[in-house]
Amino acid sequence: MTNPIILLRGQEVPNIHQYDVYVQHGGYQGLKKALGMSPDEVINEVKNSGLRGRGGAGFPAGVKWSFIPKNEPVKYVTVNADESETGTFKDRLIMETNPHQLIEGALICAYAIQAKAVYIYLRGEFWDVAHQLDQCIEDARKDGWVGKNIGGGNFSCEVYTHLGAGAYICGEESALLNSLEGKLGQPRVRPPFPAQKGGGLYGEPTVVNNVETIANVPWIMVNGAAEYKKIGTEQSAGTKLYCVSGHVKKPGVYELPFTATFRELLYDICGGPSVEGRNFKALLPSGGSGPIVHLNDQVLDTRMSYEDTAKIGTIIGSASLIVMDDSVDITWVASKVTKFFKHESCGKCTPCREGTYWLDKVIDRILAGEGRPEDVKLIENVAKNMAGITLCALGEFAANPIIHTIKNFPDDFNQHVAKKAETKPVPAKKLAAAGD
Amino acid sequence: MVKIVIDGKDYEVPAGANLVDAAKNAAGNDIPVFCYHPKMEPVGMCRMCIVELGMEEIDRETKQPVLDDKGQPKVRWMPKLQTACTQKVTPGMHVRTATKLVEDARQNVIEFLLTSHPLDCPICDKGGECPLQNLTMAHGPGGSRMVFNDKLKLDKHVPLGDLIYLDEERCIQCARCVRFQDEIVGDDVLAFHERGRSLQIITNSDPGFDTYFSGNTTDICPVGALTTADFRFGARPWELTEVPSICPHDAAGSNISLSTRLDRDAGGKAVIKRVMPRQNEYVNEIWISDKTRFGHHFTRSEDRLLHPMLRRGDTLAPTTWKDVFARVAGDLKAAGSDVAVIAGGAITNEDLWELKQLAAGLGSERLGTWTPTYGGADLVAKVGVGKGTNLKDLGKGDAVLVIASDLEEEVPMWRLRLKQAQDRGAYLVVANARHTRLEDFATQKERNGKPVSGATIRYNVGEAAHVMHELKTRYPEIAEKLAGATNLVIVAGAEGLTLDGSKALMQAAANFLISSGHVGKANNGLMSPLPGANGMGLHYMGFTPENTQHIMANPPKVLIVAQAEPGEDDPTAAAWLSKVETVITLSLFPDKTTHYATYALPIQSFAERDGTFVNGERRVQRFYTAQGPMGEALPAWKIVAGMREALGQAKPKVSAAAVMLEISNKVPAFAGCTYKDLAKVEKQFPDVGGADLYYGGTAYDNKGGLGVQIATSADAGETPAVADVTLPAVPKAKDGELLLLPTTRLYNRSHVFKPSVLVHPRVLLPYVELNEADAHKLGVQPGDVVEIAFGDDTVRVRAGINGTPAGVAVLPRELADKATPFLPTSGTIKKVTEPVLA
Repeated sequence: MTNPIILLRGQEVPNIHQYDVYVQHGGYQGLKKALGMSPDEVINEVKNSGLRGRGGAGFPAGVKWSFIPKNEPVKYVTVNADESETGTFKDRLIMETNPHQLIEGALICAYAIQAKAVYIYLRGEFWDVAHQLDQCIEDARKDGWVGKNIGGGNFSCEVYTHLGAGAYICGEESALLNSLEGKLGQPRVRPPFPAQKGGGLYGEPTVVNNVETIANVPWIMVNGAAEYKKIGTEQSAGTKLYCVSGHVKKPGVYELPFTATFRELLYDICGGPSVEGRNFKALLPSGGSGPIVHLNDQVLDTRMSYEDTAKIGTIIGSASLIVMDDSVDITWVASKVTKFFKHESCGKCTPCREGTYWLDKVIDRILAGEGRPEDVKLIENVAKNMAGITLCALGEFAANPIIHTIKNFPDDFNQHVAKKAETKPVPAKKLAAAGD
Repeated sequence: MVKIVIDGKDYEVPAGANLVDAAKNAAGNDIPVFCYHPKMEPVGMCRMCIVELGMEEIDRETKQPVLDDKGQPKVRWMPKLQTACTQKVTPGMHVRTATKLVEDARQNVIEFLLTSHPLDCPICDKGGECPLQNLTMAHGPGGSRMVFNDKLKLDKHVPLGDLIYLDEERCIQCARCVRFQDEIVGDDVLAFHERGRSLQIITNSDPGFDTYFSGNTTDICPVGALTTADFRFGARPWELTEVPSICPHDAAGSNISLSTRLDRDAGGKAVIKRVMPRQNEYVNEIWISDKTRFGHHFTRSEDRLLHPMLRRGDTLAPTTWKDVFARVAGDLKAAGSDVAVIAGGAITNEDLWELKQLAAGLGSERLGTWTPTYGGADLVAKVGVGKGTNLKDLGKGDAVLVIASDLEEEVPMWRLRLKQAQDRGAYLVVANARHTRLEDFATQKERNGKPVSGATIRYNVGEAAHVMHELKTRYPEIAEKLAGATNLVIVAGAEGLTLDGSKALMQAAANFLISSGHVGKANNGLMSPLPGANGMGLHYMGFTPENTQHIMANPPKVLIVAQAEPGEDDPTAAAWLSKVETVITLSLFPDKTTHYATYALPIQSFAERDGTFVNGERRVQRFYTAQGPMGEALPAWKIVAGMREALGQAKPKVSAAAVMLEISNKVPAFAGCTYKDLAKVEKQFPDVGGADLYYGGTAYDNKGGLGVQIATSADAGETPAVADVTLPAVPKAKDGELLLLPTTRLYNRSHVFKPSVLVHPRVLLPYVELNEADAHKLGVQPGDVVEIAFGDDTVRVRAGINGTPAGVAVLPRELADKATPFLPTSGTIKKVTEPVLA
């Protein structure tokens, strides 16, 4: 079967980002169909499609929508377009090449939960994307798809774009809501969850979904849940945008069904290692936040689905594949990723705020050849002390690169500290004194 | 109540309670915390309170707990540790607080915290009562594996405002201060700036950290990051002796602890180094206003009156107490019963009792209060808030009306607690002739994500009684909500009112409460922001404002002015004080009243003696001696007792306690108010003081007594009757003049506040507030110097334009260097070109 294209329709239809072109090619028919159904029917359709959240966690979208209490008068939809995960650049492509599908999907979601408004929260650097979206919203409004009495019915909903101020943490849904409210971008304590009263935007029940998740919805409405479920694997329905970067010949964003394997993507599509004579060494399948794996045959022959990647000890997450060949020192990778999380830690909770800084200090020492043999154990321990007790997932993510690089590539670390141990051993006594 | 299991033992705890509190109160289990505070919403930031948490498995069909092989409920433990502070207890909750897993995690959090902490405990003001220090000792690793030499280097002296300093290095980013300002005070002037390890506390306000409650942030700061300008580097906590005391400044009667030390700079004498809140959940919980905290410097002011003085011609010359008593006795005998007393609001019950006895012995009952503006204290005694009242209990379904009072400036503690009552769901109505801070809260519809309800009423100056009396017809909707509330408290002040107006307002308020059935029970009734700490004590001892007016109109032969400053407050003082043959002043400072005195006698301040005050909720509270006397000053009651002895009336009592014993025997209201009764304490919740490791502070613990609340006559079962209200004439400006509206400012230039030099930048320059149209008519721009003429007097102040009612000029008292009217007065305002202002 040929690869279905649900999201990157700009590849098939030139200028589909324009309202007229989008409408000529079936645009806003999903919304129209949804408006003819009851909100519950729409939620059930999305539930049945098996659509899972594309932001990384893979939570079933329809189930999330069904958590919204029916009797609350004010509800919101928030589209997470903060796209800040290292190596992720898919949402931008959707918004640039197929923006109306996002807007349509968001409105279907809004109808399903009877939301008053949709907020599209974009990272600050996406100002040009936001301007284009604003234009698209106005174009759609002219035909009555946005604003009062959408499609001539009783449902009204506004769509707004909002630019963030440059913080990775604002991709975390509760920090995003804080930022959207004009507060400091720090995650909130949960429960209450965004879907609950008191937990969402301005305290109202709110659905927060990733751009890619929402962009799937119009297709599902038009073609039906059953058709959608046919694509992909048992537990991972539909197609996924895979962002490939690093040592491959043809990096880029590719839309593939979840049934595709890493080998199909990295060799057949991306053309294999970028430098002849070198071999793939390691893969970060989900940007900096997911566990790193050896890019061996077992991994290459794994399907890039939620359930299959779990089996090899990693996650597909937002599908930001960072590919590294055998020229790469994984300690350096761990250092780079740690620096990123140190820079992006919001500082709200202790382990993440202090831990990321500490990890960075020790890895720098290791990389500089000043490491002590026990430093590897130290950072592994510090990372483990962070994981599991931080307020939000960022702390967990920050611990991942350390824990998994040490676990999977111990030699890369040991070679640094071994050098040091030979030249200048640190007396245990001195260490103990320093620790007092 | 629900059953939970902590470390294998069953406990009954209140449903919905916070797990940290529940473990503390029910099991005595101190789950360590840094960011959590029982007075604020949890945020789960520090991660110190992590515990193992599990829930009993419930069979979905039978709804019964699933049992294991041993017949015990099966517990499903969560895979990760959970923060206890963000958990509300639910039935079947299991908690492990002492396992290796938990201890390790706590140790790790401490280790993380200390990687950026400067560990400058030896020079830190918090050292010795620091939660971080305590918890490090209890749970810390004992050493650090972070062996880099570059500890965080940040600014250690950041003035957030004039009063509070931030040490950025010490801050552990717990946000207690930020949340206190936001949640408790409602002035979100503090915030976080930046992120990650650069996260810092900043102030958003201009001038910086500008609230009346800023000092509390230093108490709840779990490290030495926030310190007061008053105490920083002043002493070490372990050198301090905590002396229980009562704030002498206002009707709240905040319980405080005077931290004293034998000080080199004071010649080795004990002096107050700082003022801290002392927990009394009925009165001030664990908060105090900045005036309470920083307004203690007068007790050791160089300007105090130090020796008994006798008039010799134009000057006062020091003499001996023996000489004074003999001469005064002679003057009093000569005057016969033509003797009167005027006492101020900051005087103690013991002093008042002796004054009353002195006058009675001479056949006089002319006992007056100063200032003579607040009426209706008798109604507070009849239908005041019922015994057992705690403003903390007001919430959903309840209502509060604040009328004719600017509580933020008059009794900030009440404003703080009533704002929180509104947070909890109470309906807050603020009625005044002008905008006040509390009005801002009453107009809000939502705060911190929760809906709040309130309403505001604006009336013409002087019409408070009219509005209150006719509330049902003028504002039927508001009146209905107030009358229909489960509990109703009315706070009625006297702003913009004459004494008759104030009395009418109090009667109208009492009538409203009586007819809606909101009297004679806890959390219902009338309160009045009477000036001073003992406004109600004055009433119970028989001192009235009516008497003062009579005294002013009919000057006696001998007048004792006790801790009152008519010469400072009343522009007409010269006219009536100079008609008195012999003025005897009992005062802390030589002032414009001592100018008329034959005898100027120095009294001891609240810090140098013991005594009692009755607060606005009629709670009799005792304070203790904290520091030695200044000069030859005596407690006022001892001075009066000396006069009585010289007159042959009675032998002096040996102590204030003995005076109170007599009072408790002779004055029915004070029955059961001996010093022993007043010193009684009971367990209070939340448990924030004592030897606890986590909330810290050595001063919260209330060892001085919670006081005794006097029952109202309604409490005692007397059915109060609605009485007629005589609506007073509304004060009006003469044609072409403006009505000068005297108001109260918390920070002023009174003798007791002036010596607190560190607050000076916050004391406003003398000003008058005008309506824009009036200012335009007068050709006055903001900042212009204007001369205000009233009666035969003038005063020069700066003009401000700030939306006051048309025809009204707000003229705060006690800001200018001379007396301004204390009643609404007609006056003229003109711009002057030569600014003659300090």
